[in-house]
Amino acid sequence: MKSTYIVTKNPLMKATTMISRYKISKKITSLCRLLSQFFYLARNASSWQQLIKTKKMEKICAALEPQFPCRESAITTLAELIGDCNEAYPPAIYIYGHSGTGKTSLSKAFLQQCQQQQKVRIAQLNAIECYTTKILLENVLDALSQQSTKQQLDTESLRADNMLEFVQQLRRWHGSTARGFLIAVDNAERLRDMDANVLPVLLRLQQLTSLNLCVLLLSQLPFEKYYNKTGLSEIISLHLAQYNKAETLRILSSDYDQMQRQMLQQLKGDQLQLAEQALTPDFYSNYLNLFLSVFYKACRDVPELQLTARKCFAIYLQPVLDGSVECTDVSRLWRHIAGPLRSALTQIYMRIEKPLGEPAVEDQSVRKLAQSLELPYYGKFLLIAAFLASHNSAKQDKRLFVKHHGKQRKRMQTVNARAKNVEKMSTTLGPKSFSIDRLLAIFYAILDEKVGLTCNLLSQISTLVHLKLLSFVSGEQNIMDGSAKLQCTVGLEFVMHIGKVVGFNVRQYLCDFM
Amino acid sequence: MDPTISVSKGCFVYKNGATRANKRTPSKRKNAVATSSLLGKEVTTQPFYTAYTESWDQIHSHIVKLQTASNARTLEELMDFVTGERAADRDSSEVLPTAALLTGINQPDHLKQFETLTQRLHAQKSARVCVLQSRDCATLKASVESMVYNLMDDQSEVVSLDAEDEDDGRERDRKRLRRTQCTMKHLHAWYENNYSGGDKQRALVIILPDFECFNASVLQDFILILSAQCSRLPFVLVLGVATAMTAVHSTLPYHVSSKIKLRVFQTQAAPTGLNELLDQVLLSPKYVFHLSGKAFKFLTHIFLYYDFSIQGFIQGFKYCLMEHYFAGNAYALCTSYSKALARIKQLTHDDMETIRRLPSFRPYVEQINDCKRIIAVLTDDDYLKKKLPQLLRDCLLHFMLFRCCLEFFSELVGDLPRCPLGKLRRELYVNCLNKPISEQPEYKECWQMLSFMSKSEFLAKLSKCIARTELFLSEQIAPLELGDACSDLMRTKLHSLKQLLNDVELATMELQTPATETNSLADASALSDLTQVASRQELKAQLLLRSKQDKQQSTSEFSRAVSKILGLIESDLVLTYLRPLQQAPPLHEIYVFSDIATVRRNIIGAPRAALHTALNNPHFYMQCKCCELKEQSQLVSTLPDLSVVYKLHLECGRMINLFDWLQAFRSVLRAGDEQEENELPQDQIDPQIQARFTRAVAELQFLGYIKMSKRKTDHATRLTW
Repeated sequence: MKSTYIVTKNPLMKATTMISRYKISKKITSLCRLLSQFFYLARNASSWQQLIKTKKMEKICAALEPQFPCRESAITTLAELIGDCNEAYPPAIYIYGHSGTGKTSLSKAFLQQCQQQQKVRIAQLNAIECYTTKILLENVLDALSQQSTKQQLDTESLRADNMLEFVQQLRRWHGSTARGFLIAVDNAERLRDMDANVLPVLLRLQQLTSLNLCVLLLSQLPFEKYYNKTGLSEIISLHLAQYNKAETLRILSSDYDQMQRQMLQQLKGDQLQLAEQALTPDFYSNYLNLFLSVFYKACRDVPELQLTARKCFAIYLQPVLDGSVECTDVSRLWRHIAGPLRSALTQIYMRIEKPLGEPAVEDQSVRKLAQSLELPYYGKFLLIAAFLASHNSAKQDKRLFVKHHGKQRKRMQTVNARAKNVEKMSTTLGPKSFSIDRLLAIFYAILDEKVGLTCNLLSQISTLVHLKLLSFVSGEQNIMDGSAKLQCTVGLEFVMHIGKVVGFNVRQYLCDFM
Repeated sequence: MDPTISVSKGCFVYKNGATRANKRTPSKRKNAVATSSLLGKEVTTQPFYTAYTESWDQIHSHIVKLQTASNARTLEELMDFVTGERAADRDSSEVLPTAALLTGINQPDHLKQFETLTQRLHAQKSARVCVLQSRDCATLKASVESMVYNLMDDQSEVVSLDAEDEDDGRERDRKRLRRTQCTMKHLHAWYENNYSGGDKQRALVIILPDFECFNASVLQDFILILSAQCSRLPFVLVLGVATAMTAVHSTLPYHVSSKIKLRVFQTQAAPTGLNELLDQVLLSPKYVFHLSGKAFKFLTHIFLYYDFSIQGFIQGFKYCLMEHYFAGNAYALCTSYSKALARIKQLTHDDMETIRRLPSFRPYVEQINDCKRIIAVLTDDDYLKKKLPQLLRDCLLHFMLFRCCLEFFSELVGDLPRCPLGKLRRELYVNCLNKPISEQPEYKECWQMLSFMSKSEFLAKLSKCIARTELFLSEQIAPLELGDACSDLMRTKLHSLKQLLNDVELATMELQTPATETNSLADASALSDLTQVASRQELKAQLLLRSKQDKQQSTSEFSRAVSKILGLIESDLVLTYLRPLQQAPPLHEIYVFSDIATVRRNIIGAPRAALHTALNNPHFYMQCKCCELKEQSQLVSTLPDLSVVYKLHLECGRMINLFDWLQAFRSVLRAGDEQEENELPQDQIDPQIQARFTRAVAELQFLGYIKMSKRKTDHATRLTW
């Protein structure tokens, strides 16, 4: 097994490698003759191979380019690297770029084209699904074996408990009809957290199996984030840069045909005629310009923009359909759409679907939230007590909650300490931890009536923890010996509103406001 | 134990299939047992028990019906969502349809809701459902495994599809199912095997009932996996969100939330649910069992102040019901009138004695003025049995009339400004039953407000009250057994009210002319008086007098009519029927449960208090002769060691010196037997005592009262205050 896995992009290079090998066995005297012979052969072969290769590449590129506008260069690079199964693949390719730049969909489409046009077996998987190494390996094997899922369950042979078995399984396909194997792993950054040998083996899988095999890793991180102590072999990386505004516009406007069809299907009668006149590519690109002027600053994720653009287009078209605004009057249309676009901007990524007839924008203010949250009466007081415990120091408790706490001596030190600026205020510094005993003591201090310490009351604390209004800081395991520490996770404004509901002035009991 | 054919004793190993096959019969047997009771036959055949089961079944079915009705809309929408999402073509793959159900803060209650959803989905045969709780999902692996396992191993589905031919295959499927095998791959294969056919398609519904409790990172990965599989398997996710939608958005980052398509559903808030339950079931005139004002308030108090749990409320109510009937066979009379008549004959002498011992029986006896009859009532069972039907009838009628008047009254005072007597019917019910309502200041305030109303308002209000009461009579009371008697009584009252209302309508607002004349005269005299007052007090008194005179004189015909009608309402309805429980007719105890102390003791756990009592005064629980205490803080050597140590530790501060503690312990023990062992030297401690002390301290530490201090040697820290 000599090193046949050298990356060869060019038939000429292939020829030279052959020469170098030949050098070992033949005498130097015959070198010149042979050289000329080989060069001739190589030139012939290279031009011929080049022809076939360009043909194959072009076929793949032609199929993909209309699907992925603005990604021509990336497609060509990929095609050069793995476009031809008759050539040696590079051992691994690393594709990275932000979310929504088309890593996954591009590689998916590319691999499928390869599978259709050439005899290549492909495997596509998501590293998140592979919470154990075994699942990762078996998924790869299943996909590469190209059996249906039912067969997979029956055949016991496709088991791989560890890397060794996996590599052995792969080697069995040495003489098979398949010319190449492509494996794409999405969210590859998860591979770092898996067993230590997974990533190195995947990067050198070609060498280990001596198959014509290439691993594509897709991730949002640059490859520099992967280096570890043991080191990794070199990898070809391909960066998919974020689309600029013009490119985004171009991609979004490719939607036009579909939008037009969809709109026209929904309409009837007069509106249909109006819409047919109005819906021109210019009209749509005008809309997209307006749309991007609002959204481009906030969001560059193309699929998300696409989705929102589709949603808002109906609103944009509405005044035209009513006949109230001419379809060429961009400024008036802008006035109509500006409000809805801005409200859509707050809803981006949230994907909340509203059934028809409900107000589109939800009031998400703290006041509303505090009012809508239903808590039992004592639960509210417990929450307030927790907030007070979190935002007052334990030293001050006596002063705050005990009626006859004695006179406090004023000293220069304390006066200076009191003159705090905003940064030092404990309400802005964030919550501090407290014990359950202290919580209950404050609870009893702020509550006017007498309440027994019953199971129902204590279970309220755990309810609040479940609702994530309180959280354990430490000692969650040993609540019994009193060392568990809690923390209040809600803010001042929220607690003030809750206090208002039960008629309790929270500010009065905070050191910061005394 | 499964029977064997072997004659020898020993352990027998069955193959997996064998026990599985036999499993079905025991489950059936269990069902048969469960329907009867945990109690023995000697209890279940008692009349009180039959009466109890009867009324509980009746009330329970009513509650269930009400709850399904009130949840129906949300459930229906949710069902539509689930089935609709399945039907919709999945062109936008990788986007997971998700429903967020805003449920309210009591999470245990929601499980029930989700159970109903599951049942309905199964009934429609449109989906496989998996309820995934946060405790099963500590890691991603565990959550995927339990999801796949639950989906594939759905028992309820198997039972519903009990076709013989399919059974074998399923049996085999299940036999092979192991936890480690449960991966997405298997789920996929299983789905293709069972549901790949065109019309057999089922949605795979995954319910996370307690969204807030999930570990955020696990949940994110889980959703990413589901959305990635979404194009191949028809997943639908249902989240039970206890707080608000912001919880969802703060847990899921953008790259996850963009993978789901969220629809929000709102369920009925718990307090509204309770109010509905109270108004329609507990306060319904259909049921003869009533809670006293205090018990009623106690149960609602637990709900509103502590847990918002409707299930808890229903269980508490059930406990009251049990407690009520368990008091004896006499309480079997607490059924409808005709059944009670039949039961009177079965009453034994003991039961009659129970009746005689009821607190309200005494006033009844006292108001009989014939000596012979008193003796007959007190001694002759047959005589009392003859009297009983009339008494019971009075009682039942009283409660019905009470309920009618409550209806009238709640409409009358329910929407007054600031609601002095309470807005809801349950508050009024409690108010009326607890104290004589007409003596409360809030009641007077209400009456004043009513008399200040404008004419049109007053007319509208009263006619609405009357209409509502009549509706109540015809709808709720009329179908009942004594309904006719009740509605006859009520109708006459309402009729007289209507007549007075007519007067009010005709009355004018004009002031009476003679009144104005006297007014002017009085004015003159008052003016003259005012000039010659001697002191400030005199002036004040005169001014008061004058204002009173003004008020009396300025009454118009309208206001007199109003005060007349209000007077009639007060005397005829409020004073006669809305009487507090103390003034209710004799034997009302049979229908009203008021033993709140027992219920409180039994349904509210107070572990801390119970432990304190046990340690402070062991006699309370042990009932032994040796440790009877004269006062709580007394220390006796005969007390258990643990108790002595506990009592000593109560006297200490935060840190306890172990040696001092031991000395105190020794002196307590020695006080008991000083006569015998006074020859022992002071400074040397008996090892036996030391061992007992060490053991008691260890036990106290085990109970969580103290902790050994790490900072200070030989000291213990108190953990309680």
